[in-house]
This record gives sequence, C-alpha cells and structure tokens, in this order.
Amino acid sequence: MTEGQLDAPPVTASATGKPAGPARRPRRRFDPLPYLLVSPLALFIVALALVPAAFTVIESFFRVDALDPPTRFIGLGNFRRLFGDHVVLTSAENTLIYVLIGVGLSTVLGIAMAITLQHKFAGRSALIAILILPWALPGVVEGIVWSGIWNANSGLLNSVLTSLHMIDHYQVFLGRHRWRTIALIELVQVWQITPLSALLVLASLQNIPGDLYEAARLDGCSSWATFRRITLPLARPGIAVAMVQAVIATLNVFDQPYVLNGAASTGSSVMVQTYFISFQNLDFGEGYALSLLITLATLVTSFCVVKLVYRTVEF
Amino acid sequence: MAVRTRRRIRVRWFGVAFILLWSLVPIYWTINTSLQTEAQAGGKPSHYLPPTPTLKNYTSLLGGSGAVPDQIRRSTINILVECGAATIVTVLLSTLAAYAFARMTFRGRNVLFYTVLGTMAFPAYTTLIPLYRILGDFGLVNTYTGIVLVYVSGFLPLATWIMYNYLTSLPSAIEEAGQVDGANRIQILWHVLLPLALPGIVSTAIITFLFSWTQFLFPLVLSTDLSTQPLTVVVQALQGQHVVPSTLLSAAGVIAIAVPAVIGLTLNRYIVSGLLSGSVK
Repeated sequence: MTEGQLDAPPVTASATGKPAGPARRPRRRFDPLPYLLVSPLALFIVALALVPAAFTVIESFFRVDALDPPTRFIGLGNFRRLFGDHVVLTSAENTLIYVLIGVGLSTVLGIAMAITLQHKFAGRSALIAILILPWALPGVVEGIVWSGIWNANSGLLNSVLTSLHMIDHYQVFLGRHRWRTIALIELVQVWQITPLSALLVLASLQNIPGDLYEAARLDGCSSWATFRRITLPLARPGIAVAMVQAVIATLNVFDQPYVLNGAASTGSSVMVQTYFISFQNLDFGEGYALSLLITLATLVTSFCVVKLVYRTVEF
Repeated sequence: MAVRTRRRIRVRWFGVAFILLWSLVPIYWTINTSLQTEAQAGGKPSHYLPPTPTLKNYTSLLGGSGAVPDQIRRSTINILVECGAATIVTVLLSTLAAYAFARMTFRGRNVLFYTVLGTMAFPAYTTLIPLYRILGDFGLVNTYTGIVLVYVSGFLPLATWIMYNYLTSLPSAIEEAGQVDGANRIQILWHVLLPLALPGIVSTAIITFLFSWTQFLFPLVLSTDLSTQPLTVVVQALQGQHVVPSTLLSAAGVIAIAVPAVIGLTLNRYIVSGLLSGSVK
C-alpha cells in the first residue's frame, strides 16, 4: 500500500564536509547524530507498540483475570471459551456484515465522489472542504449526530417518511430488527470513512493522463466504456488503499455501535465485545485472545484486498 | 459531443448535490435541534427550521453551575491539553526522526524505518489492553501523561511518514549552501530545512490534532474520572443517561465537533496533502 522507497540519501557524503570520493574516506568516524534523532521514535515504537503487541500475543494463552488471580498458562483455553460464547459468535457475524456493507458502500461512494471531483470546476476546492468534514469529526459524536436522524420519537427520518406517506406512524429503527440495526449503524461509519476513500481514489484519478480520455473520445467510446476501460483500471491503486483503510476501520468498529446500540447484542461488534470482556468482566486473557483474532483477521483481509485489487498499469 | 458534455455536467451536478447533502444534512440537523426547545424538538412532524431559535441549550451547558456544565467545561480543557501536548510531541519527534531517515545513512536505518511504517498496518486497538495494564503498572492510568504517551505512540508512524515524504521532496542543494556557511546539521535543520518544510509540519500537526480529538475508546479506558476525561467521553456519557433531552445533547454534540469542523473546513488543503503524502504513487 504505502510505498516506502528509501532513496539513497543524497547529502550524507557531503554532510561531513569532505568530497564524496570513496577513496577519501576509508573508515568513517562513528556519527552519533542520526541515532540521537531517531532514538525517541524508536523508544516509543518499542515500548508502546511492539512490547504491548507481544503482550497481546503471549498473554492470550494465559488466564489473566483480575477477579481470578493468579495469572497462569492455559494454552488455547481463552480461544476455546470465545468460540463457545454465543454472544461473541453473534458479534463476529455482525462484524462480518459491518465489513461487507462498510467496505462495499464506502468504496462505491468514494469512487463516485472522486469522479465528481475529477475535473476542475468552480467551487471544487470548497466542495473538497465540505467532503472531508465527516472524516474530521469524532466517531462517537457522529453516533450522537445520527441518533437524531434515526430517533424513534423525533428523528428526521421518521418525520420525512411520514410526510411522504411512506410510513403511517413513527417507527423504531434501531434495536428491533438485527440486519436493519446493523445497516443503519454501519451507514454512520460509512459517513465517516468515505471522505478518505474519495480522496485516495481522486489522487489516483489525477495521475491519469488526459490524452487517454482524448483518445477514447476520438475512438467513439461511450462514457460507460471510458469508465470501465480507463478510469476504473487506472484507479486501482487508490481503490486498493481506500478498501484497506475501510477494512481496518470496519473490522475494528467500536464508536458507532457503542453509541447507537449500547450493550445489546443486536448490533454488537467484536471490538465492543472485547471492551466488555476486558473492562467490564475484567477477563483480560479472553480480551487478549479476541484482540489477537481481530488483528489477524484485519491483517489477512487487508493482504487479500491488496492482492486482489492492487494493480499498477504501465503506460 | 455537445450532448455528451451536457450530460457529463448534469451527472457532475448530481454528484455535487449528493456530496453537499451527504456531508451537511446530519450536521445541519444537529444544529437545528440544538437551537430548539425540548417541546419544539418533540413536534411531529419535526421543525426543519428552529421556530424560535434559542441559545438556551448552549448557555445551560457552558455557563451556569451544576454537574453538567462543570463536566463540559473541565473535559473541554482536558481535550485541549491532551490534543495540544500530543500534537507538539508528535511533530517534534517525527520531524527529528524524519530528518535522519531522509538525509543520513546509519546502521539499522532500514530496519527501523520499515518497522515504524509496518506498525501502521496493525489496528490501533491491538494494543488497547496491554497499554492499559502497562500504564497501570507505572501509575499512569488517569493521567495526562499516560494519555499523551499513548496518542504519541499511535500517531508517530504516520507523522514520520508524512515528514519523511516532505523532506525528501526538498532538493538537497539548499542544505549544501548552508554547509558552505559552516553551519552544523542541527543549525541547517532549524534555519534552512524547517522553514521550507513548514507546510509539511502544518499538515502533520493538523492531522495529529484531529486524530487526537476523535479518540474515544482509548480515553474511555485510560481516563477513569473527570480529571482527565476528554470532551468526547463526557458527551457520550451524557447520551448514556437517558434523562438528558435531545436538544441539550445536540448542543453538546455541536460543542464537541466545533473545533475539528472549523479546522477541517479552513485548513483542508493541509489535511489533503498530508493524507495523500506518498499514499498513491
């Protein structure tokens, strides 16, 4: 996804103040400066990312329970308990739906928005500012914002549907019907993640040379054929990155179901279950195991998306 | 051809209208509710414009005494302190490291660089439970320091990546001019490179600030009371108490999104360039 090309650093040789000929510096003096510059970063990454990640892997095989000490090795016990817990299994099923709806919808909408913004027009930069607005806001407050739309007593959706005579009385949209609850909660997350998808696809679209469209037009291609044959294939790198960010966000969805669904199992996600298992039941071992499974699922799914979607085209 | 151009423009205006409605209607609806009285907001059908706009919900949240205004005020200070500190530390450390990665060779450079970037592929919540337990061992749960450490560790990889891309895009000739003047490398970074890298630094700072502001699960776990809870956690807790009317809750929501919304609308140029930095080549 992110292409970390480390180019040969151009100034190192001259940074010592000497000409860069290899014969002139048979053995360079040890230079402490780069180590000083990167050591705070290295410290943060090791102490607060790598070590905790190792904890997650190791302790998922231990019984770590604040209410049942001491910590002891139990092999696959945590995993076995997870797979025997039907609330966790339901939340895994729910999360699968969150991912399918979220990745699908944010990708389609992202492509549509990027195409809208592909060519310059008056007010385009203002529109980009408005487009990224939902991305910049806290997901938990977005849940509150959208609860005003889904609300059963005073929501915008009920009011509009009643005015249009599509329903004859106010409905309870969230919490009654499982798939409807999940779809409406995921729509709130799609609202948040689509702006980034649109920007990533737009960046790919802007690398497409204009002569390709000119040639397609001279060949008499329809708009749809141009989209299928030029825009879509050449936007694949951007679409792949957009889908990966959507996979990471949706597989780990927490804020929106926590706000709109609370503790009910109707729309609960695996991340919500991790939170309740670890910080309400204080069963850290099982929480570690579930975290580990979510992380592995995220990495594998992201990898598959990149393999399937990412293609660069030479032209 | 004229027909096709006209159709393309019509499709574009449909797209423009969709983006405007999609982004703005939910926010408009929250503002609209926040400017009504409880009785008005409960009307069926809803009032699409506030019949008698009132700021009463805002004044009762921000001014006045009582538990709720105290919580809102204190958590606003908390979120500003936490986001501000996380942003300053992240920008400082990522700039120093990116300078080394972009302009120097040293042993272990590639290993460290790819390890740092590799952490971005992992979901942030992988480390939620261990971070809680590690910070607990050091007595850092429910402290500003603990929260800022977690934010910085989470945002450093992206910040380093943005700064690295920005610094490598600058020609190295400008630093060689500085070396001729006899400046050392830190002086060159400070006097020559940083002024030129200012747009990259602003991007990094804004993105870090926004990411910190949007956090919820980490502070929910790491802040146990009002002394460190940020606005996002407090506003959600208000929503959890079902006695709070939707008008008051909407006003609290508007307060919590005001800062990131203004930043997003005014400084989006820097956000876009930072987010896309090197992402698609």
